[in-house]
Amino acid sequence: MNGVQLNDITKSYGAVNVIPQLNLSFDEGEFVVIVGPSGCGKSTTLRMIAGLESVTGGSIYIAGKDVTWARPKERDIAMVFQSYALYPHMDVAGNMSFALRLAGTPKDEVKKRVKVAADMLELTEYLHRKPKDLSGGQRQRVAMGRAIVRDAYCFLFDEPLSNLDAKLRSSMRTELAILHRNPNRTMIYVTHDQTEAMTMADRIVIMEKGKVKQVGTPREVYNSPENLFVAGFIGSPSMNFLDAEFQGEQPRVVGEGFDLPLPPRLHDAARNAVSRSVVVGLRPEHFAAKAAQGGAAPPLSAPVSLDVKVAEYIGSSQFLAADIGKRQVAAAIEVGPDSAPLESGEYLFDTNRIYLFDKSTGNALV
Amino acid sequence: MAARQISNPPGIWGHYGALIVLALITLTPIWVMVATGFKDDVLVQQKEPVWFFFFPTLENYDYIMTRGKFDRYLWNSTIVGVSATFLTLLSGGLCAYALARMEFRGRVLVANSTLLVRMVPPAVLAVPAFAMVINFSLNNDLAVLIFFYTALNLPFAIWLLFGFYKQIPVELEEAAIVDGATPLQVFFRVLMPLMKSGYAVAGIFTFRIAWNEFILALLLTGRTTRTLPVGAAGFITDTGVEWGRIMAMGTLIVIPPLLFTFFAARQIIAGMTAGAVKG
Repeated sequence: MNGVQLNDITKSYGAVNVIPQLNLSFDEGEFVVIVGPSGCGKSTTLRMIAGLESVTGGSIYIAGKDVTWARPKERDIAMVFQSYALYPHMDVAGNMSFALRLAGTPKDEVKKRVKVAADMLELTEYLHRKPKDLSGGQRQRVAMGRAIVRDAYCFLFDEPLSNLDAKLRSSMRTELAILHRNPNRTMIYVTHDQTEAMTMADRIVIMEKGKVKQVGTPREVYNSPENLFVAGFIGSPSMNFLDAEFQGEQPRVVGEGFDLPLPPRLHDAARNAVSRSVVVGLRPEHFAAKAAQGGAAPPLSAPVSLDVKVAEYIGSSQFLAADIGKRQVAAAIEVGPDSAPLESGEYLFDTNRIYLFDKSTGNALV
Repeated sequence: MAARQISNPPGIWGHYGALIVLALITLTPIWVMVATGFKDDVLVQQKEPVWFFFFPTLENYDYIMTRGKFDRYLWNSTIVGVSATFLTLLSGGLCAYALARMEFRGRVLVANSTLLVRMVPPAVLAVPAFAMVINFSLNNDLAVLIFFYTALNLPFAIWLLFGFYKQIPVELEEAAIVDGATPLQVFFRVLMPLMKSGYAVAGIFTFRIAWNEFILALLLTGRTTRTLPVGAAGFITDTGVEWGRIMAMGTLIVIPPLLFTFFAARQIIAGMTAGAVKG
């Protein structure tokens, strides 16, 4: 077996059970992002893979080897920390080569590998600077370089971009994606930022309270969220949830201030539902303006009336904070850059994009 | 950058006045010591003290260097001071590290109570220490003095270094562990260099105390193991106190810790500016 496997992992701190039971498997060469709100156990999971945190139960395999109780150095991993954790008393070259020097790698080899990594990360001219003389983005790259030089089997990233400003973050994101294509190593990346997860991951693991809520490709978790938590967590702005009831022969969902016909793919789900009441999920970006307001109607759409409170102009679209009935919802409506501020009235919703969730369990109905 | 005119705030004269008074209070005894060391006996015993204008003599220094056992005492003091400082920093550093980072029963209690031991004045320990040393026939052995000074200084050193270790982010150590460092490699290759200023401060205090300590040294040393302060006290004789010689010796005793402090203080400044860890 290859890649990284977590089998029945549990973790408790005294009486507090942080991770009840975790089974995950990462394929060799895969870029997996573990995402979730703070305190969901994602960093703990990463630290257990790194060997910085012991497991309470279960086993961890890396490259087919049982490393549950192995020291970090025996696991063939490299890690990038949120605070970079650069050694302040060593220059860039010293930082990048520390692991190799500890391992007793010949000097020529060390020099060569540091040079390759420095070239890749455009750090060559800074090799003899101390971390304190570098900018945030450069420090970030040194931290990355320290991992790259190792040529480890598995790379672990613990929120490595969260200390950077937005612009640097997006450029580092691109660099990371390129980096992954080059050495083709298993990469496990932890973040609380769903945009990072969506843009970089081959697969996303979404965690909440120590449990895996869904594992899938970015497209899968966006298009077919398995439960309310994933639906609300993935996508920006987040999905709106409204209470409704099933009604009629051609099934519809009816709630306060809206009445939407269900697309054929959800008919069975509506007919088989145990309970008449249901939670309807509507993504902000699936609202549209009517043709008269400059919108283009999706093929399957139904009117919804929105009582607009605030319309935010953001260029090609407008973000609305509006009420349906008495519930506030968010809508992102594409109307082009020259549009006037949108006002209350009838809008369209792409009914093919309706999500249904069981009211008691929170699971998706399909 | 353009030079800016900084106007003196109104209280500035009072401020400097107070500083000058404080400096005088500190410097006067030192001046008396230095000056007395250069006076002959007649001048020292004179009823009206002569503060500044007298004809200096090197007679006292000559006596100390040629007829006393100054070289012997200096050697003993150096051995004791350096060894005690080294031992204190080494064991105190490891101990502080364990207290700051490792989880074990009683950790908090130990960390918080180390300083209590420090509250005991050495004079209180003198009698039991003397009894112990005599019992084991260890008097007249420099090692005993070294161990006592190490024990006396450890609480303060541990407490001080504990605070410094607390400030070093744990992630640095974790990064080193992932990089493949053993616990001792983490300690000596990553932490120690970052702790320079902490060790410098602890070193200054330890060395100074070990160098100056008198009571234990008096009780636990013999003819060949006397340290400088005890040696200086040797000039209090049956026939009178030889102030000139005592003061000359005092002046010489002050020099090594002064040099050591200047050297170590430089590390403190270096440590303060090298501390940038976060982004």
